[in-house]
Amino acid sequence: MLDLYDKIQEACATIRKSWDRKPHAGIILGTGLGPLVEKINVQAAIDYSEIPHFLKSTATSHRGRLVCGELSGVPVIAMEGRFHMYEGYSLQQITLPVRIMRAMGASLLMVSNACGGMNPNHRAGDIMMIEDHINLMGDNPLIGINDDRLGPRFPDMSEPYDHFLIEEGLRVARKHDIRAHQGVFVAVAGPNLETRAEYRFLRLIGADVVGMSTVPEVIVATHCGLRTVGFSVITDMCLPDALEAADVQRIIAIANDAAPRLSTMVTGVLEADVARNG
Amino acid sequence: MEPFGKFEDSRANDELREAIGFLRSRCPGFQPKVGIILGSGLGDLAESIQSVASISYSEIPGFPVAHVSGHAGRLIMGRLAGTEVVALQGRCHFYEGWQGAQAALPVRTLLGLGIELLILSNASGGVNPRFHSGQIVLIDSHIDGMFRPGLSSRTIGSATNVVGRHRISYDRQWIQRAQSTALKLGFSLPTGTYWATLGPNYETRAEYRMFRNLGADMVGMSTVPEANIAFAHQVDVLAFSIVTNVANSDIASVTDHADVLNWSARAKSQLLPLVQELLSEYLQSDL
Repeated sequence: MLDLYDKIQEACATIRKSWDRKPHAGIILGTGLGPLVEKINVQAAIDYSEIPHFLKSTATSHRGRLVCGELSGVPVIAMEGRFHMYEGYSLQQITLPVRIMRAMGASLLMVSNACGGMNPNHRAGDIMMIEDHINLMGDNPLIGINDDRLGPRFPDMSEPYDHFLIEEGLRVARKHDIRAHQGVFVAVAGPNLETRAEYRFLRLIGADVVGMSTVPEVIVATHCGLRTVGFSVITDMCLPDALEAADVQRIIAIANDAAPRLSTMVTGVLEADVARNG
Repeated sequence: MEPFGKFEDSRANDELREAIGFLRSRCPGFQPKVGIILGSGLGDLAESIQSVASISYSEIPGFPVAHVSGHAGRLIMGRLAGTEVVALQGRCHFYEGWQGAQAALPVRTLLGLGIELLILSNASGGVNPRFHSGQIVLIDSHIDGMFRPGLSSRTIGSATNVVGRHRISYDRQWIQRAQSTALKLGFSLPTGTYWATLGPNYETRAEYRMFRNLGADMVGMSTVPEANIAFAHQVDVLAFSIVTNVANSDIASVTDHADVLNWSARAKSQLLPLVQELLSEYLQSDL
């Protein structure tokens, strides 16, 4: 990890040429959730290819731009398109943008994803505030010699998701009549979806939803001292005894349909965080 | 048959021969019976060893050189409680990026020197709510949740002349000996299942719940790769885990590395006499 520090500085220097402000939050948009960007008053949009050490986003419906501007009057940096382990990237590469957001001055990370719902009380299109996670990716973004400038060797993970912001997310959802929950997200490497036996297993070990992202970014956010809030959009229900074949087009349609509701919750939580933490 | 068996990977094989040859030439005629990896709570054992040789990893051909602050790796040969031992100070954790043949070499070297028993220790998070901070638990089983090729798997080559399956079990007789010796010294020594994770972050509450549901009593980031190599060599393993904090999945409580070190230090007042007593009772040289 000893080469990360310089990479972060170089990427920040490039971003600052286009947008020289201190963001309050970094936002990562998941599959089908790009429309949130329309709510941002865009001041600069930088292609990932122009930023040193950034990766190419190859996943379906991920665009690959870093959008800088204001959401609800608050300076933010948003990743339109994220990177995944299943694209063949290392977790250290995937999570570099989180460190860059931190180095740009952000104090809050807002992550979103599309996920499979395993809790029978949930429905496709619902949004779950991530309360905790299980890392089953078989890897960790912090492996290597620790650079103490970036964070501690052994980060505590007893509360990676800010409980105040979870409450705020649920409060905003209630106010706007949005179906929302809180629960546990389990991350797997993917890219195949799970078998019925795997869904049973994941449910048994305590997960409510399953996805292929988010956990690496949150581990790094915790390592570098960012407050974190996570939104999972349940795009299909994965109930092992009534499992239907996954339909990617349908999943993306449900994500797009949920995007305005996600925007409402993200904006509300951002405002609450600014009111509390400045 | 050579004591350290046959390797499929010729480079790993050569490195091992070289390391063993080097150590034998440094201590001619010295035959260790016990290998000790000086993990949490056992570090101070180094001071009790009547050293025949204390050699920096950097001098031993092929040995990984510790690249982090703190003490560099050392291999110590000498006598402890009347028994010939070889001890490793400095460990190759997967979370530091070590893997494969290089990570395996120090432990393989101990086994290649002909030890009969490998003693390991670690600091762990307690998953079983019956445990308390500072408690020493004997590992009697483990779950490998490290998602990494084992150090004795085909990635390096067969470590033994035994092809295929080998028994994975912590030696029952040594567990019983350790338990009765502990009682003589005035404390009880429960057994438990150790779940090894990759680390380096501590676990989330959801992960602790999962470990508990799946049968673990402690969780940590070491020991399993080393124990597995010894099992492949059919060498007995005695592994101590110092529980430094007991996770409560329902109340968020911060795990701090300083606390982990603190509890490890407190447990050594039990662990050091226990190991010495075991060696002196069961392995004392007749010489």
